[in-house]
Amino acid sequence: MAQRTVPLADLADIIRSKNAGPFSITLDILFSDPARYRLVRDSGAVTRETVAEAYGIAAQEITSFFHVDMANAIKITLRRPRTQGAFGESDVYGCQQHVPLLGIAVPVA
Amino acid sequence: MKQPITVLAPTGTLGYGFGTAAFERGMSLNPGVIAVDAGSTDPGPHYLGSGETLVSRLCMKRELTQLILAGCKAKIPVIVGSAGGSGSRAHVDWTVAIVREIAREHGLHPRLAWIYADIPFDRVRAAIRAGEVNDFEAGCDLAEKDVDEAVSIVAQMGHEPICAALDQGADVIIAGRACDDSTIAAYPIWRGADLGLAIHMGKILECGAFSAEPFAMDVMLGTIHDDHFVLEPGSLERRASVKSVAAHSLYEREHPYVQAGPGHELDLGGCTFTGLGDRRVRVDGARARATSDYFVKLEGVRRIGYRSISIAGIRCPTMISRIGEILEEAKRNTHRYFAPAELQIGFHVYGRDAVMQRLEPARNQVAHELGLTIDVVAADAELAHAACHQLSGALLHWHYPGQYNTAGNLAFPYSPSELDAGPAYEFSVYHLMKAGSPTELFPGHVENL
Repeated sequence: MAQRTVPLADLADIIRSKNAGPFSITLDILFSDPARYRLVRDSGAVTRETVAEAYGIAAQEITSFFHVDMANAIKITLRRPRTQGAFGESDVYGCQQHVPLLGIAVPVA
Repeated sequence: MKQPITVLAPTGTLGYGFGTAAFERGMSLNPGVIAVDAGSTDPGPHYLGSGETLVSRLCMKRELTQLILAGCKAKIPVIVGSAGGSGSRAHVDWTVAIVREIAREHGLHPRLAWIYADIPFDRVRAAIRAGEVNDFEAGCDLAEKDVDEAVSIVAQMGHEPICAALDQGADVIIAGRACDDSTIAAYPIWRGADLGLAIHMGKILECGAFSAEPFAMDVMLGTIHDDHFVLEPGSLERRASVKSVAAHSLYEREHPYVQAGPGHELDLGGCTFTGLGDRRVRVDGARARATSDYFVKLEGVRRIGYRSISIAGIRCPTMISRIGEILEEAKRNTHRYFAPAELQIGFHVYGRDAVMQRLEPARNQVAHELGLTIDVVAADAELAHAACHQLSGALLHWHYPGQYNTAGNLAFPYSPSELDAGPAYEFSVYHLMKAGSPTELFPGHVENL
């Protein structure tokens, strides 16, 4: 029987993107419920590789990936596609780049 | 430190507003200082480049008036960091002029200090030659050519220049570009608070009540004790929770535990957050260590030209089905028309991939309408306008196979269809420079109004 999955958006409370300086975009996935955080953390569903796949980028473009136990959070940072505000900028604050995370499928028991 | 010190941060960015009732309640808790951040690189390179301020004079004056009246009444200092948005000289001078006007209109006589954060270009060139400039995140070394091309360069000051103004008895301090955390942390540090706790508290308070729930640009207070600090929103309608505060510790930064600032490195690895009642959170465990050399972060911009844009809607499904190829061909034609003049031409196609561009996973979904922004940057404003108009006109009357509607392809919401956006800038300096001392680069001035 296939493993049942739910979208990450059904488990996390906050999923957001934001500039971390003019050269990076940082993605935060935050959970109110520590059990849900641990479920996702330990599921293998949210990794450098799966996040890269969701964004259609190479895993090397993800500059850091943290499990932040003290905040029940997963933190992922990408190199910005272009320097903030440079010609061609599409999102000055980097605050609308979170959407591919919402649908990542997380296996649940 | 003999007694706990309370810092009131009225909002996350001065000029973006805060609740009057929240502010009054906050002031009733007897803060020792009102400290607020007024800028960031977050709104982009325009403000440092152009000297235009981030918020309007109207909003700045209204909010500064509230802060200065309250500060004078309570006899506590008012500290503003990264004045005007970029914290450049033009922005400091603009803010200082507003403070003078407020003092005059209200018959106040505060001791006013202002601190510049502009870095002379020759100082940066000398540092490059001495090997004292390191890349921070730009991904390249800083060259003297980058300095030659810069319009403006500032550096983020730490708490020390602000403490120097406090030493001189300043009641109102208008600081140029400053590390956000340091603006808030300066007063407690000056009073003897632990560096790590003060900087961590500054990091949370610099965004006002963004660390509370529901979050907002509003009043937040932090009280620093010998070995911890306590956070509380000004408004009784908000609460600080372990979740909201821990979440905020991650905001806008890459590393969750280790964060470098002017002359120090902050380690949050041992932090704990504990709820106190319904609305307050206690934070323990931040550690700061002074770095052996004192580095400041430089921020500089260069002008890339002048911008004109055109905004249009596209509703016809036949045009939508061919939009990619049409835009590319029209762009090539415009480049040819104006050659040998150099143009930067870009399109934002809303409804396809304008927001996420190459990160967009859903770009192949077919929309029933598209929004198009045509973006042209050229060496001068006249050329940018001419090219933008030529391009929008070409797209308006573009002929393509299978076309039903021969009357025009673009629905313009505005007349004129082109908007001239003035000079355009980009970040070109984002590097660390070694300072001779924490105050060397940040000259302060004091005057009794």
